[in-house]
Amino acid sequence: MNKVVTIHLNGTPFQLEEAGYDALRAYLDHAARQLAGNPDRDEIMADIEQAIGDKCRAATNAFRTVVLAKDIEQIIAEMGPVDDGSEKSSRAETTPAGSDPTTHAADNDPAGSGPVKRIYRISEGAMISGVCNGIAAYLNIDPTIMRIIFVLLAFVTLGGMALAYFVLVLLLPSARTPAEKAAAQGAPFTAQEFIRRARAGYYDAVKTFHDKGAHREWRRRFKHEMRAWRRNFRQEMRAHSQQWQADWHASWSQHPGAYRGFWFTLSFLSAVRAVLTFVWIFALLSLLTTGAVFGIALPAGISLWFGLLLLCVAYVLFSAPIRAARHVLLRHGWGGPPCVPALFGLWDVFVWLGFLALLIWLADRYVPQAHQALVNLPPALHHAADSIKHWWAQR
Amino acid sequence: MGIEERFSAIRKGLLEFLLLKIIAADKVYAADILKELSRTEFATQEGTLYPLLSKMRREGLLDYEWKESEAGPPRKYYKLTAKGREHLRNTSDYWQKINGTIKGMGPNS
Repeated sequence: MNKVVTIHLNGTPFQLEEAGYDALRAYLDHAARQLAGNPDRDEIMADIEQAIGDKCRAATNAFRTVVLAKDIEQIIAEMGPVDDGSEKSSRAETTPAGSDPTTHAADNDPAGSGPVKRIYRISEGAMISGVCNGIAAYLNIDPTIMRIIFVLLAFVTLGGMALAYFVLVLLLPSARTPAEKAAAQGAPFTAQEFIRRARAGYYDAVKTFHDKGAHREWRRRFKHEMRAWRRNFRQEMRAHSQQWQADWHASWSQHPGAYRGFWFTLSFLSAVRAVLTFVWIFALLSLLTTGAVFGIALPAGISLWFGLLLLCVAYVLFSAPIRAARHVLLRHGWGGPPCVPALFGLWDVFVWLGFLALLIWLADRYVPQAHQALVNLPPALHHAADSIKHWWAQR
Repeated sequence: MGIEERFSAIRKGLLEFLLLKIIAADKVYAADILKELSRTEFATQEGTLYPLLSKMRREGLLDYEWKESEAGPPRKYYKLTAKGREHLRNTSDYWQKINGTIKGMGPNS
């Protein structure tokens, strides 16, 4: 016994099995999306609905009034992917001779055929909100690996990555419509794909929580568990850090003369950080102006803004140990008497800024590429802002 | 890459030419066009056909009229316009020329 949905196709009513309805809905949604911008969109959609209606009529008779899911599968396969025929026509192309469209699109380069791949949050099978899931799908790696990377980064960057995660939660759109889901996976949108997903219950995920009560209960439990986990984690971290501090003091108090080294070490750390910052800024600039970092072009399929994001993550990653070391130095001194954090902090910032300015000046003066990059900076920034705006407008 | 796949872009480009020829012969319903094509290398599906037909109509090559059908709602029957017939003649000539060029080139097999 299956649920039946009554629909009308271009004015004629039909009764469809629910799974068939889902597949048909997905097919028509995608068709409408594919024809976006086509002046005859409504007319073509009406033609397509009517053609589907004719096929549905052929599938039913006086004794069999319901169109079954397998009929719809057959019909969608016969209809074939809707193809605008204009500039983007090469996507989702199937040869009617019967080559398998899924593998066909998969072997091609990601930039050429196949639907445009974009980062979405994918809530199916998500741990928190689907950010890792979405990025993993975008980069075509296992979501678990992505999650491990994220957690490791969160530790190494002292929570910086956790912050980035929440920014991503706000920034990344959630894949809701079937077309968005396909764009998130980069999967080819063909009839076979629709059918496979409809079969796999892909579109049923939204219906997992039938009543609101169950959903609320699930969320409450999830929040409760998260809170308990956070509390635990904080307690453990606090205990550990006290242990580390004690160890640190114990080891350094045996070298009373080391206090002089403090200034030197701090300056050295600041200088190293300045070099890092300089390299980072230069990398950002060269990515913006030439599309490559130190002559290494971005892999195809990774957009400019994602490259910039990666660079930022890399910078945070590399500068984190230095920051942590400086933090320890400033807070707990060099095993000697406790120091005045404000004064040292100021000194540190001056050394850092001064060194950075010196590096930029030297580069501007002696490295022609760096000079060129600096000169090109305003238009490049403009271009980057435009591309980000364009990306924003597209979603 | 098989010969089928190699020629998929060319087949696609020639589809418009074939539609002109089919529609020139008789007023046809979309399903008739698909049936006629299904026996050839140019087998096509609705998903491709409807957008192409509507594009050709927009370019003024063809037009349609509604006709009642015994079963179901009225159907669109396509026919060529004067511009469409001229375009068919030009395309036919050009195709002959291309064929001649291909035959005249290289060793005759």
